[in-house]
Amino acid sequence: MLELWRPITGSGLALLMTVAAPAFAEDVDFALEVRPLLAARCFPCHGPDEKHREADLRLDLRESATAHRGEYRVIDPDRPEGSELLYRVRAGGIERMPPESSGPPLTDREVALLERWISEGAEYSPHWSFRPIAPPPLPDVNDKAWPRSPLDHFALARLESSGLTPAEEADRATLLRRVTLDLTGLPPTAAERDRFLSDTSPRAYEKLVDRLLDSPAFGERWAAVWLDLARYADTKGYEKDLGRSIWRYRDWVIEAFNRDLPYDRFLIEQVAGDLLDSPDLDQRIATAFHRNTMTNDEGGTDDEEFRIAAVKDRVDTTGQVLMGLTVGCAKCHSHKYDPITQRAYYELFAFFDQTEDADRFDEAPVISAPTKEQQDTITSLERQIAELDASLERRGEAAQAAVAAWSSEWWREQSRAEGHLAPTKATDWEVTGPYVAEAGASAFRSVFPPEPGYVGTEAVLWTRQPEWPDATAHILDPAPNAAVYLRRRLIVPSDRQLELQLGSDDGLEVWVDGRSVLQRDVARGVAPNQDRVSVDLSAGEHELILAVINRGGDAAFWFAIGDELRGGVPIALARSFALDWDQRTEADRGLTTDLWLARVDPIGRRLNADREALTARLETVRASVPTVPVFRELPPDRHRTTRIHRRGNFLDPGEEVSPKALENLLPWSPEWPKNRLGLARWITDPSNPLTARVLVNRTWARLFGSGIVETEEDFGAQGALPSHPKLLDHLAADVVRSGWSFKSLCRTLVLSSTYRQSSAVTPEKLERDPRNRLLSRGPRVRLPGEMVRDAALSVSGLLNPERFGPSVMPYQPPGVWQAVYNTAEWQTSPGDERHRRALYTYWRRTSPYPALEMFDLPSREICTPRRIRTNTPLQALVTLNDPAFVECAQALARQSVRRATPVRWMFEQALLREPEPGELGSLSGLLQARRAHFANDREAALARTGEPLDEGSDLAEVAALTAVAQVILNLDEFLTKR
Amino acid sequence: MDPRIELLKAQTRRTFLGRTALGLGAAALASLEGRTWAQDAARTDALAPKAPAFAPKAKNVIYLYMAGSPSQLDLFDYKPELQKRDGELCPKEFFEGKRFAFIRGQPNLLGTPFRFAQHGQSGAWITEHLPRFAKVIDKVALIRSMHTDQFNHAPAQLFLLTGTPVFGGATLGSWVTYGLGSEASDLPGFVVLVTGGKKPSAGKSIWGSGFLPTVYQGVQCRTNGDPVLFLSDPPGTDRIGRRQMLDALAALNRRTLERDGDPETETRIQQYELAYRMQVSVPDVMDISKEPQEVLDLYGARPGHRSVSDGADDPRAVTQGNDAAFANSCLLARRLVERGTRFVQIFDWGWDHHGVAPGEDIPNNLPLKCQQIDRAMSGLLIDLERRGLLDETLVVWGGEFGRTPMRQNAGAKFIGRDHHADAYTMWLAGGGIEGGQVIGATDEFGYSITEDPISVRDLQATMLHLLGLDAWKLTYPYQGLNQRLIGPEGEGTILEKLIRA
Repeated sequence: MLELWRPITGSGLALLMTVAAPAFAEDVDFALEVRPLLAARCFPCHGPDEKHREADLRLDLRESATAHRGEYRVIDPDRPEGSELLYRVRAGGIERMPPESSGPPLTDREVALLERWISEGAEYSPHWSFRPIAPPPLPDVNDKAWPRSPLDHFALARLESSGLTPAEEADRATLLRRVTLDLTGLPPTAAERDRFLSDTSPRAYEKLVDRLLDSPAFGERWAAVWLDLARYADTKGYEKDLGRSIWRYRDWVIEAFNRDLPYDRFLIEQVAGDLLDSPDLDQRIATAFHRNTMTNDEGGTDDEEFRIAAVKDRVDTTGQVLMGLTVGCAKCHSHKYDPITQRAYYELFAFFDQTEDADRFDEAPVISAPTKEQQDTITSLERQIAELDASLERRGEAAQAAVAAWSSEWWREQSRAEGHLAPTKATDWEVTGPYVAEAGASAFRSVFPPEPGYVGTEAVLWTRQPEWPDATAHILDPAPNAAVYLRRRLIVPSDRQLELQLGSDDGLEVWVDGRSVLQRDVARGVAPNQDRVSVDLSAGEHELILAVINRGGDAAFWFAIGDELRGGVPIALARSFALDWDQRTEADRGLTTDLWLARVDPIGRRLNADREALTARLETVRASVPTVPVFRELPPDRHRTTRIHRRGNFLDPGEEVSPKALENLLPWSPEWPKNRLGLARWITDPSNPLTARVLVNRTWARLFGSGIVETEEDFGAQGALPSHPKLLDHLAADVVRSGWSFKSLCRTLVLSSTYRQSSAVTPEKLERDPRNRLLSRGPRVRLPGEMVRDAALSVSGLLNPERFGPSVMPYQPPGVWQAVYNTAEWQTSPGDERHRRALYTYWRRTSPYPALEMFDLPSREICTPRRIRTNTPLQALVTLNDPAFVECAQALARQSVRRATPVRWMFEQALLREPEPGELGSLSGLLQARRAHFANDREAALARTGEPLDEGSDLAEVAALTAVAQVILNLDEFLTKR
Repeated sequence: MDPRIELLKAQTRRTFLGRTALGLGAAALASLEGRTWAQDAARTDALAPKAPAFAPKAKNVIYLYMAGSPSQLDLFDYKPELQKRDGELCPKEFFEGKRFAFIRGQPNLLGTPFRFAQHGQSGAWITEHLPRFAKVIDKVALIRSMHTDQFNHAPAQLFLLTGTPVFGGATLGSWVTYGLGSEASDLPGFVVLVTGGKKPSAGKSIWGSGFLPTVYQGVQCRTNGDPVLFLSDPPGTDRIGRRQMLDALAALNRRTLERDGDPETETRIQQYELAYRMQVSVPDVMDISKEPQEVLDLYGARPGHRSVSDGADDPRAVTQGNDAAFANSCLLARRLVERGTRFVQIFDWGWDHHGVAPGEDIPNNLPLKCQQIDRAMSGLLIDLERRGLLDETLVVWGGEFGRTPMRQNAGAKFIGRDHHADAYTMWLAGGGIEGGQVIGATDEFGYSITEDPISVRDLQATMLHLLGLDAWKLTYPYQGLNQRLIGPEGEGTILEKLIRA
């Protein structure tokens, strides 16, 4: 078990091939039979990887394998028995191939296969998944009545050739539950069951399926699948793992599934939406797909190193998700098994190397992405403001004479000397610190020696900084929980109001002449104009002191002097008042008119007041608009040069490369631009052999429990072979023909007879088709984590079906979050926000929500093409003891007491069928035993029932029913899709 | 016919008839179908004990992980020359063309502020702040010549423990439980304990199973609240009540098994029974108050102790030398290993002494951290030995890299060192390790290795080797590659020197 060589290459491969073989024609199929054997046993030394190639022999190329090598040929199609290959695989001792160090010799069966293949001419064909998709002809079947669709012909042909018969159709309630879970991720309600069971029309099931496909829950169910692939999370990852606003992307995915955005568009918009002609907001949000990569805010990290890590992740994810290829290996060395050289990897990398993002703390580029409601409000406010602007404009034009008179008057009154309108000057900055706070104290609240109000005697040594211009950010010595002080003198020529413009990392306090004028106890990165403060200053010198208080990480500040007002007029403008109206510039006249409307004219003041109120509202709405990080291409003059990274090390650059797709899979069309958009077109071209197969396979796996190709993430030479290659190709061709409609793909699958089979296992089938690879019965798998949660919430009536919006925090035990340099806390969402569907749960990469993580949800640090279903006792502890699940049982029990037969009612709510007498007996027995217990222990009963009960409820009864409800919500049947 | 298939058939028939007590099911079935075995249900019996590849020297591992990376130059790698030249400008060859996390420009040399003395048969130099450890040094092999490729915390931690600096790999403890299973039937096979108030930089991924099934991931046992998340019955539920519930649940699940015939249902029944047993066995093992006072004293353990660092925004700022959290965890580690847990890893945070904050000051804070671990780790070695467990338990101590001989932020109020990947110290003991030796040496400043360089790959390969696992052959197929801890290139050498003959 430890060493996978043996199972793969020994009996393992043989068994795999018995699964695969019967579906093929009599001739040996190179791609499906011979190549996997060569790939596993020979390619490591005689394959595409030039570094490990021995004897200058490539068995992956017919030309090399059949070349004349002096006396002999390794593969000799003309004289098969003379082939050196056959001699060596039969030989012993040092002549044996593969050598002893590479594992056991080939089995007789494997040797026989090679013999047959060579005697048939040793024809090569491309790896099965690299062959073009050609719709295969329908196979003949004996049972003509069973198939409902072409899909069923392929499945049945395979079953019949194995001597098995399909299972009978599942009963209607079971089928209803199965298809509802599969398409919406939620179990059907009792009302839905009644509706379906009472519909006796022959098309009842089709109607049901169409209803489910139209349900808004459909998008949520399939978004949850996609988000694993997109490695979607609400945090940035790595050490600090700070929050990230990217939920608009999650909502975009939900809507894309709901509106059945064709899959090719779905991919193009995510890979290159920003490069489409005038992309709309949705298309730009879609590019957040590849902004789900992690950002490293750890102190002392090299942004370029982690930008490159993100780009590599994009290449790997693109290969995996879209094409089922594990290109990642080739970042260090050429792929050992698949035709992906290291050079090809960096040619793919080059497509993604030209985006603006660069592992920056602020995640730039980021766009604001208003929701539809927000956009409507913004548009309406903007229109009203524009109307007011027009009114002000008209008013100003009509009053030019009055404005001119007013401004000239102002000049006469206010400006006795030109010098009064000179700008304020400032001396050089002086700096001291950092001053670190005492253990446990806040640096912001500490009073250090440079601060006005300090009463100690410690001297302060200031350092002059003559090179620090205004309106530029300056880096300060960082220390966590510490303050750096800055001071300078302001020389003010005349009495005036001065605006100070400031930015800081992190907090800030400002004193003028010893008086505190601004306090900002915040954690933030520095940016211009984060704060503005206006101060009235008399003519003369004034002392300005800043304290920049760092919480952690970098420290910096930004400063500029803004408007200087004298008598309410900016000094720069006031100088123009000396001129005649006609001699002033157009701009000055406009500014003067605006000032007059705002300050002097009663009508203008009213219009301005209205405008201000609307602007304030607009600002409020804008501030609540979520942001989302997106792709933006660098302008051509800033394009990066992409080089191969030797051994994957970006500090060791090699040869320069330019963008190039894996053109041995599909040639490049000259119509496509050589950028991400072109790559997206290459991926989604109907002739791309992988994209449609991968989509079909993934969808199949979610519905049937495992893929036709079981290694969903690997369609390459090392991946598993398809159990039903023709079925896969039929569906892949079909999905392309349908215009890439995902909903029709789902519809085709769930309407088939294959899908509708009962999942009950007979002893014969357990023995002959233990893992249902032959599709001899319906799917029966444990529910994925999201469905475990959503089903409990739904059945208990607690589910809050609200869609979209920021992620929520359902109950999580205290102390789970405990990250380095990050003091964020989990705060349980209020009210029924905590009862939202699982996919809205806040996902922190370094500490995922435990109840879901235990049910195999990945951390989403990287793309996870396939979850491996596990089974641990920790899962039982979640569904039995997690307060979030206990709450569901309590809610279910509370509702049941109003029913005539509470136990039966709860059972039917959860399982959509009547309990058998034996089942009812066990549950009633539990009810009685528990009722007797709770009747004597009121305190326990109160604790068991949770929230206060309705008046008149029998406490012991409800407590006992809660125990029964918990059992029902933990039944194998409830936690299984069957 | 393959005897495994015979066995399987017998078992599945019994499973089908509902007579077997042991769940089998898809994983075992799949294992016979070759590679695909790994791809479906990994399960509780995935942790059943498995035979190692060859005779092991060690059965279990206790890994004392010093997250943030302690300064080897102030604990074990004594450099009088560096002390002599303390404060001088650093020679150019040390920093030109090098990348550091924080140091920019030409830094100053920093000698240790601590006294050192030689101890034990090997004459190992040890800081004055580890007096008890100095007394047990003959049980230990001290490696002064470790080096790594990474100089930021998260990537370096991932590289050391998962074999790759990027996320997605499986951690050492997962590989070991994947390879060997666990002897503990009612306890997790791989337990993680976190002390020091924070998780390590790389987060939970550092004890994650990556591409291996999640059944192999580390289970964090906590000393506050439920020792394992959701272990306690909900309020108002007593043990009898829980038993009655599980009996009803099993009765209905058995009915499902008879009707649908899926072995997975049997597995589910067993899953709930094991959870029920864990509810007793985990609190039992976590309850160190059952230990005699003499044993508690040996470790410096204090039952019920609650660390002030828990919940502190910056736990380093409130470090207390007599904090018993690490000691309690060491004792707990012994109790777990004694009961069959395969791999226990304690992540102790707070060793990142840069010197830019009060909790990062080498002269003041490092002695407190030493005090927290000195008695505890020494007591652990003594206690394991006298119980006859040391021979079969590999104890490992160390961080993800070392620290520079140069001072970071000269002139600042606190004294500290930057990250250093080129040379650092770790120690190993027990489980087949030849104690009483010092391996490797560094130059007069402790900057570069001059003798016996040992890479992360060497260490990974050797740890697996001691457990009877072949690092080159312990693989798992994922993404088209037979993944392994030591990476695709298969570098790494078994360190024979370390191993007791």
